[in-house]
Amino acid sequence: MSDENPINAGPVLQARNLTRAVRTDDRSHTIIDDFSYEFNSGNIYTIVGPSGAGKSSLLRLFNRLDEKTGGEVRFRGQPAESYPVTELRRRIALLFQEPYLFAGTVADNLIYCCKDRKKADPQFTAHYLGLVGLDPALAERSPEKLSVGQKQRVALARILVQEPEILLLDEPTSALDPGAARTIEELITKLNQELQLTIIMVTHNFRQALRLEGASLVVINGRLIESGISKDIFERPANEITRRFVNGELR
Amino acid sequence: MIDTGFPQVAIAVSLMVLAIILARWQRVGTEKEMAIGTVRSFVQLIAVGYALDFIFNLENIFAILGTLMIMVVVGSYTAARRAPKIPGVWIISFVAILAGSVATLGLMLAVGIISAKAQYLIPLGGMTVGNSMNCSALVMERLHSDITCNRLAVETALSLGKSWRESVHTFFTKAVKAGMMQMLNFFKVVGIVQLPGAMTGMILAGASPLKAVFIQIIVGYMLTAAVTVTGLTAAHLSIRRMFTPAQQLKI
Repeated sequence: MSDENPINAGPVLQARNLTRAVRTDDRSHTIIDDFSYEFNSGNIYTIVGPSGAGKSSLLRLFNRLDEKTGGEVRFRGQPAESYPVTELRRRIALLFQEPYLFAGTVADNLIYCCKDRKKADPQFTAHYLGLVGLDPALAERSPEKLSVGQKQRVALARILVQEPEILLLDEPTSALDPGAARTIEELITKLNQELQLTIIMVTHNFRQALRLEGASLVVINGRLIESGISKDIFERPANEITRRFVNGELR
Repeated sequence: MIDTGFPQVAIAVSLMVLAIILARWQRVGTEKEMAIGTVRSFVQLIAVGYALDFIFNLENIFAILGTLMIMVVVGSYTAARRAPKIPGVWIISFVAILAGSVATLGLMLAVGIISAKAQYLIPLGGMTVGNSMNCSALVMERLHSDITCNRLAVETALSLGKSWRESVHTFFTKAVKAGMMQMLNFFKVVGIVQLPGAMTGMILAGASPLKAVFIQIIVGYMLTAAVTVTGLTAAHLSIRRMFTPAQQLKI
């Protein structure tokens, strides 16, 4: 970290005692339980845990798709609530597990958020398709004709058009075959390095966290169990709960 | 005009009896419902007939407004039952139906097409409220089902920094169109496939067909205007209630 480089200047996103509880059938159910962590700019983080641990809910709290019931989220030192929510969601962008592309062409999807652009120019679409490793010729294709992996990459390119500062990825490879999953992982590393994007990715697969290197956070039952360098956490788990998770005893 | 009263109704009942016998003979299975319907409609309509006779003789504007208000309340309650999961649905349909009815009846009163008499306000009010009720029920039901079935599409738009209004725009227009479709279809076939109610009534009561046609045209335009106002109001209010102030989908 250096002082001259504002990109790496300390935490870009902070969660303090973050809590979310929902009421269902008159019973309160805690989804995120007193979660605190500081995400530094320009790093890759993986949030790892079994299904239903609250990992995706965390991402939804970070970009305010859901509302917290306690604690706070700070973005660049300011409370998340101090930003217009539409701006916050553009700067802290979320890629869903299941990519949803709007009707039209791939190019239409890429310019979905560009107010002043009636029609995508080929250079523009080629640039963003190239960024996610897709053939520029796909621009005029209908999204229905794409594979799931391609759809996921178009959805990612659509987000990159907005130049986000933090990229939240919700199990982006869960619907893909191992080969396509690896390609996405390589893409994530490349985006982090080339665009200095802060990436927070959710996965239930700790091996994926190891492949991406960087830091990991183990979340189980909405609680942060431990955090640190992925290698340290998963190769020789010291924490008993993490060890049980790595051994597949937690489902 | 032909004489109508209880003896004529008694004769008409024989037609229902004949229909019930036919249904029973052919084992359609509707005879019980038909029998109940015969009695029920008789009692209901006779009661309404006496009540309206009473109100018409009063010629009191408060009695007329009170009657119209009862129609709006019952209409909004009936419409609300079609989309019970929208928060505050009863109030939404009440405001929507009231807006449609007040706007159109008010305008017709203001420009002097009708005068503030029970003879005009009650039947036209009944038609306006009835059509507005169907429209608001359709709009709210459609909106709720479209948005819940397309959560991912809506949340994808939100997560890309679109406003709540933009994120459901497609569903908004579809729902309002669905609510107005009955009126729009009516215009296509009016007078060709079916002679509409108001016109039929006037012709039966001895008015000239041309006069009946003029009234029918006025009624048709009035109902379309009412349905448009109601549909738009119901859609706007319903959508607003489906989001939190921080633009999070809450249904």
